[in-house]
Amino acid sequence: MRKILAIAWKDGLIRFASRSELLFFIILPLVFTFILGGGFNPGDVDARIRLLVVDEAGTPLAAELRTALERSDAVRVDLLPRAEAEAQFDDRNAAALLIIPAGFDTAALTTGALELELRQQPNNLNAQAAERAVLAVAGRVGQSLAVAEASVAEAERRQPFASAGARADYFDAARQQAATLFAEAPDRLAVRRALTADPVDYDPAANSSAGQLITWVFIPLLGLSGLYAFERQQGTLRRLLTTPTEKATFLLGSITGQVAVALVQMTLLIGFGTWVMGLSWGREPVALAVLLVAFALAAAALGTTLGTFVKTEGQASGLSMLLGMAMALLGGCWYPIELFPEAVRTATKVLPTAWAMQGLLDLVLRGQAVSGILLEAGVLAGFAVVFFTLGVWRFRYE
Amino acid sequence: MTAILEARNLVKHYGDVKAVQGISFHIEDGEIFSLLGPNGAGKSTTISMLSTLYAPTSGDALVGGHSITRQPMQVRAVIGVVPQDLALYEDLTAHENLNFWGQMYGMSGQSLRRRIAEVLDQIGLADKATKAVKTFSGGMKRRVNIGVGLLHKPRLLFMDEPTVGIDPQSRRAILDMVKDLNRQGMSVLYTTHYMEEAAELSNRVGIIDHGRMIALGTQPELTQQVGQDETLRLHVAAEADAAALADALRAVPGIKQISTTDHEVVLIVPEAEEALASAVGHANAIGVKIRSVDIQEPNLEAVFLHLTGRALRD
Amino acid sequence: MLKILIIGFKDVTLAFRDRAALLLMLAAPLVLTIGLGLVTGRFAVGGSAGGISAIPVVVVDQDGGQLGQALVDTFTSSDLDELLETTTSADPAAARQRVDDDQVAAAVIIPAGFTDSILSGAEASAPAATVQVELYANPTRPTSAGVVQAVVDEFLSRVEIGRVGGQVSVTQLLTSGLIQPQEAAAAGREIGQRQAAASAPVIQLRRATGTAAPAPAFDALAYIAPGMALMFLMYTVSNGGRTLLAERAQGTLPRLLVSPTATAQVLGGKVFGIYLTGVAQMAILIGGSAVMFNLRWGDPLAVGALVLAAVAGATGWGLLITAVAKSPSQVASLGSAVMLTFGILGGSFISLSNLPGWVQVISRITPNAWGLEAFTTLALGGRLADIAVPIGALLAMAVVLFGAAAALFNRQGLVQR
Repeated sequence: MRKILAIAWKDGLIRFASRSELLFFIILPLVFTFILGGGFNPGDVDARIRLLVVDEAGTPLAAELRTALERSDAVRVDLLPRAEAEAQFDDRNAAALLIIPAGFDTAALTTGALELELRQQPNNLNAQAAERAVLAVAGRVGQSLAVAEASVAEAERRQPFASAGARADYFDAARQQAATLFAEAPDRLAVRRALTADPVDYDPAANSSAGQLITWVFIPLLGLSGLYAFERQQGTLRRLLTTPTEKATFLLGSITGQVAVALVQMTLLIGFGTWVMGLSWGREPVALAVLLVAFALAAAALGTTLGTFVKTEGQASGLSMLLGMAMALLGGCWYPIELFPEAVRTATKVLPTAWAMQGLLDLVLRGQAVSGILLEAGVLAGFAVVFFTLGVWRFRYE
Repeated sequence: MTAILEARNLVKHYGDVKAVQGISFHIEDGEIFSLLGPNGAGKSTTISMLSTLYAPTSGDALVGGHSITRQPMQVRAVIGVVPQDLALYEDLTAHENLNFWGQMYGMSGQSLRRRIAEVLDQIGLADKATKAVKTFSGGMKRRVNIGVGLLHKPRLLFMDEPTVGIDPQSRRAILDMVKDLNRQGMSVLYTTHYMEEAAELSNRVGIIDHGRMIALGTQPELTQQVGQDETLRLHVAAEADAAALADALRAVPGIKQISTTDHEVVLIVPEAEEALASAVGHANAIGVKIRSVDIQEPNLEAVFLHLTGRALRD
Repeated sequence: MLKILIIGFKDVTLAFRDRAALLLMLAAPLVLTIGLGLVTGRFAVGGSAGGISAIPVVVVDQDGGQLGQALVDTFTSSDLDELLETTTSADPAAARQRVDDDQVAAAVIIPAGFTDSILSGAEASAPAATVQVELYANPTRPTSAGVVQAVVDEFLSRVEIGRVGGQVSVTQLLTSGLIQPQEAAAAGREIGQRQAAASAPVIQLRRATGTAAPAPAFDALAYIAPGMALMFLMYTVSNGGRTLLAERAQGTLPRLLVSPTATAQVLGGKVFGIYLTGVAQMAILIGGSAVMFNLRWGDPLAVGALVLAAVAGATGWGLLITAVAKSPSQVASLGSAVMLTFGILGGSFISLSNLPGWVQVISRITPNAWGLEAFTTLALGGRLADIAVPIGALLAMAVVLFGAAAALFNRQGLVQR
């Protein structure tokens, strides 16, 4: 045991002998979590997506639409003349451009539907969000129009209007009433997300916090393979074999050291998620600890097995970066796993990253307790046992 | 006296390469034993087997009474190893290195701290103990490398060519340290291809070549194999001259052996002065100028030359 | 000049012989491109562009009324057949459990009394208490759950239009004396049904993508592949810088410098080697992805010019990193850090426009952002003239960084230290 600790301590000293290690240990993980989590949105900064709006109609209906858009919490209306708006859009300075064409007015309803023009930058999530916001607003403005229109039609079925003015008055009254009724309409949909007594607030930043945590802990643990290559290169591994120290003791010591470093790193990242990003990591500390330890062990065991294949430190660092990134991506750490095709989703069950991510989200998004993550922790522990055994068996001193 | 090490017919093959082909010897408790031989003779392989790094293909050895094949852990507790190449963590300080390796030998606490201080004194690095090893000179690194092997006061110390590639001053310090350790009762297995080191240090020498022990014994015993013969070295101006002179001397009676190394012709003769006169005569006859002459009493180099027909440092 | 070429080609050979380097130069960008391509649905069978299909959802109808049935019908309708994979259940607790077990993306639970709360409300003067449909959403599948929510929202808004429409029509008819109060109930039901049925939105949205009138269909890979290639280009250039310092440590650089070769030639050769390796890497990745994924990069001439400019900008960064670092291993770790940071800042992971404004400003120092912007323009059919600004920016970046690196090298001396 004392030897294991001595090896672990020595590895820690070596790892942090170079100060640039801190970059990968804490600085980059925080930057990535932070940026991918959406960054800070301090209250006084308008984080809404900028939507260029050109109003060529200038009608009350157009004004109403603009007012409704301005109230949206997704887009920020920037009203511009057409030429300027188009120039900005062409320069990709805005994700979307909405044009309210001339003749956008209630009067035009009789000749058919009203039309708005929306231009979007390709392959752009903001453009899609802007589209959804415009659709929602147009739908809301449109629904009282539709009701008024239908109401007029009902009246006309029974008796034609005396004059166009009378028809217009009837339309306005109906529209007024419809608008009131719609405004008063209760919310008929309740969206809930977790079964816990004290419900968890859904926060997309949780995905980024959990995903980045896994990624940045996973890559250096795979890098354990490089440590073995380093010891071989230095000749210290040979020397170690001439001391009364067992192979398993050496491997356990190396793993202990890196896992301990990983645990410190995870604690820091969890702390950042909790206190800076306001995520509810802390509700089940025991479950979280069990899961994180199991994950770190699985990753370290995988690194040990990898260490039996690689020959040089350079290979080890390249391979662990490549495998780490690919496994994090496919494990759903960067994008929700739901975005993958079904077959790929099934296939990713062989990746420890997928299980770790699922377990973490169970905790932070579903608010589950120890019992909820036992399966994930168990599978991760299984990975650890299998790969550690494989590593010990295949491990060679040279 | 009892043997601290007894090697019995050690064999090591790597595929078709027969690195060691049946080596047997023993080391008395308290003696310095040198394995002398040119590069690639099998010295490192032998020491690797004895330090339990490689399992021998066949044969066995007892170290401190424990078999290297069946009781490697017990063997490792008896021996200290100073590998030929540095095996240190360069990012750690000298003290941190000693502390780590001490723990690997199962030492700890107060006794380890005391022992580290002693070893640091012994290797003369007490004032540099808190500096990272990577900032050290080559000679200082070598001394740390040796210090690691001394920590647990091994009964038997393996030193594999500890003086390769260092300055004469550090080399002197290391040789003195070895003698000092031996006076304190430590047995030493020392491999080298420097005849002078083996001559200075050892009680007994084993000469090894092509994986075989070709001679074994105390220095007087070994030099007797060349009898009272002396070595006569004739230094000439050009390689071609050396070859020509060697050819010319082959016909001369009384010369037991002739070999050449670039600008030298080396003769083994019963009487050097006598042979010198005739050699100079032959040289003049074929127009070769002898630049300098060196006469050596019988030594290990001569033994090796006598046994293999080659010089040690070929 | 010849010596520069010799040194340069030697470095290219060494770079492509280093298996560890090849992992990150070629394997990593291709693997990650495939992974990200999967995310965006680029490789989906059947070519559904959205990526998400067959969303598993469970519907529990405890209402049993007309509207509850209508919602169930909506979920099982053939229109949504591809998008949703709906199952029904009678047990709300079991349905929620399936969400918690991550078997389905959402559970839609229609409680008893839902129909009555709306339909009777239209007739009675006092509105009935609201009964809410419950959407129990899976937090780990935000997008899928969002789609389900949109379906329910759409349905509820049609229901609302029917309800309000009926109520407004009847009230207005009553006010204008066109019907009598006793006819109201019957008229209300009749009108409500008519209006709920006809429900094309009044305000339509005409969508246009990009600027050029008929924009070619945008391939998500045309964004992902250059993003990854540019990110790992940063690895290549810093690895090139690393070999410069490694040669210094090994002594081959001093040896070169004592040979009758001018310092400028040696440095020029090393820089040329890094540059050439980067160009070769980009060429292989572009060619490879074009063949493997049938990806169209656009005008070959413009793509070529862009590669030359982007690698120049990246090489500038590689040299600056080398000039700042003290040892080969420092270059390696600094290089990886810069590679990843530039990757995220330059939009290799998520589109730049989704990042906060200040990130978008900072991103302009990366060759990744400029390069990616220009590659996207080209993939959408742009020509060389359309990417003049990014190319100019990349070349300017190269000049500034070369200058800075040269000044640093000059001050410290290349061989000393």
